[in-house]
Amino acid sequence: MKRKLVSVLVGISMVAALLTGCGSANGTTKTEDKGKDGYRVAYIARAQSDSFAAWLANEMMAAAEEYDDITLDVFDGQADDEKENAAIENAITSKYDAIIVQPNNGEAQRPYVEKIVAAGIVAITTNARIDGIEGASSVDADPYAQAAVNAQAALEQVPQNAKVVVLNGPSGNFHADERRKAWQAEFFDKRPDVEIVGEQIANWNKDEAVQYMEDWIISNNQIDAIISMNDNMAAGALEVVAGKEEFKDILSYGVDGTAEAMLLIEAGTMTSTCLQSAIDLAKLNLETVHKLLTGEEKQIDTDIDAPLINKENVADYVKMYKDRGLIQK
Amino acid sequence: MKFRNNRVMEKYSIFIVLFVMIIICSLLNENFLSTGNITNIIKQLSVAAILAYGEMLLIVSGMLDLSAGAVLALSGVLSVSVYKSSGSLIIALLVAVIVAVVCNIINAIMVTSFKAPPFIATLAMQTVARGIALLFTKGQNILQLDNYVVFGQGNIGPIPVSIIFLIIITIIIWYLLRHTRLGRSLYAIGGNEEAAVASGINVKLNKYKVFIINGILVGIAGVLFMSRVNAGLPNGAVGYEMEGLTAAIVGGTSFSGGIGTTMGTLTGAFIIGCLNNIMNLIGIDSYVQQIVKGVIIALAVIWDIHSKTKKTTKVVLVEEKEKVVSN
Repeated sequence: MKRKLVSVLVGISMVAALLTGCGSANGTTKTEDKGKDGYRVAYIARAQSDSFAAWLANEMMAAAEEYDDITLDVFDGQADDEKENAAIENAITSKYDAIIVQPNNGEAQRPYVEKIVAAGIVAITTNARIDGIEGASSVDADPYAQAAVNAQAALEQVPQNAKVVVLNGPSGNFHADERRKAWQAEFFDKRPDVEIVGEQIANWNKDEAVQYMEDWIISNNQIDAIISMNDNMAAGALEVVAGKEEFKDILSYGVDGTAEAMLLIEAGTMTSTCLQSAIDLAKLNLETVHKLLTGEEKQIDTDIDAPLINKENVADYVKMYKDRGLIQK
Repeated sequence: MKFRNNRVMEKYSIFIVLFVMIIICSLLNENFLSTGNITNIIKQLSVAAILAYGEMLLIVSGMLDLSAGAVLALSGVLSVSVYKSSGSLIIALLVAVIVAVVCNIINAIMVTSFKAPPFIATLAMQTVARGIALLFTKGQNILQLDNYVVFGQGNIGPIPVSIIFLIIITIIIWYLLRHTRLGRSLYAIGGNEEAAVASGINVKLNKYKVFIINGILVGIAGVLFMSRVNAGLPNGAVGYEMEGLTAAIVGGTSFSGGIGTTMGTLTGAFIIGCLNNIMNLIGIDSYVQQIVKGVIIALAVIWDIHSKTKKTTKVVLVEEKEKVVSN
């Protein structure tokens, strides 16, 4: 009896999974089927569980709606090289006209993007680009420039003989490494008076940054600036010093331009960030893929802008997030 | 006399390890024993320790929970979301606990009624819970929590609220394990499930109870975690079940079941917490930190296996001696 019940339950769940799969099979999300002959584009997202990647995937679908001749299917790489590579292979087998890859790990996806090119399919790598693949195009935000605009502003703002802490992204991650390189070249090399009193990898995570900062303020009674490779970690570190009189003038820098960073800059808690706009990135990706598919251009390597956001211009970006419902009005 | 000393050493070795560690840490950094730092350590380990109690109870009864981190995230984001719409801290806390308990009842159904191995059942729940958290939030963090942060950042007098939660939970778990029939049943089930059934213990019911208790703990941990970071993070607490498991195992809980204590688990959490803290205070590189933590876990497991082997050998020797005498 129990065995029968189990069989029935398994059967029902399999059918349910298949039916649900019509909308999202294997982590796939489809745009509305327009029922027309046009270009089929596959977007292989790094991980729908990554908040920026999820935002970018949503914006890619929104941007695709602007093109009558493009149907976009989104696949989830689930932050796993094997799964992302399998998704790329499946997209090649399914003969998509173009495949846009947001790598989980550039080098792991490189041979698979080369397979896309070899199959005669339009290939684009985005956020982050995989350099040096002949025949593949790329659309990215320049991580060096994103950190550099903050570092250049910090040159003037960080006081003499300042003590700072540095929060890094995961090692080996292109954006994490490039942002750290920019801070070194554009700030630390030019300001030898500044001392780094704490530097750790907090893996882009707010909770890890909270813990590091809690320990750093115990071992250092003077910290003048938080230099973070993303906004999430900067926000975590700021959470620890919030309301503490001795850290009321602390400076803090991030990258990404998240909704939370906008609120912190608006409140005067955070100093600056650089917007990595998923909206702009998605629009530029669709524009690029359209040009490549229609034969208007053969290869494109392009970047979105890296605007610095500080107290002076934050209101514009707060409005952008409010319009998208990511900040309460 | 020597045998008695060995027993004392065996029983209190974990506390001695912590004591020695505290002395070494205080020599390495003058701030280590400051009130501020001790408060920090306890605040930092409170979420992991609460999860560790749940893991300890499950391991003692021969199970484990790999879904704790994901269920924590799910219950946390739903709690945050309910707080934002209702403005009630009590309702938010209740929602977190109810969500986590429901997830754990499902775990219990899979484990007890469908005989799924706890490893697989809770792994499935891990994926489902994380998926729901991401679906619910569309992968985005929930911001602007206002007074919700009181759980993880507020104080009652000079004591942080999260530490008060930890103290109360520690007392309850200690009492439950030491002085209730449920506690004794869990040891019996984990020690030998068939013998427990034969002695009239309702194994199925007790497994349900322990999963429900784990759910309550995970729900509370979810609220503390989200309020500590002042955001609803659907991606938060990834791998936190491992933090809980590590604290429990380092604290002397045996993976083969039937062995584990509340104070041992708390001490395990303190050892990991002090280790993390001192490595940050003296600025040890992230990669080295991972290696050190890995070595500590390996040593704890080796110690566990070694001490069990010694005990088994002793029992076998006594049994053989009795046989010889009776012959």
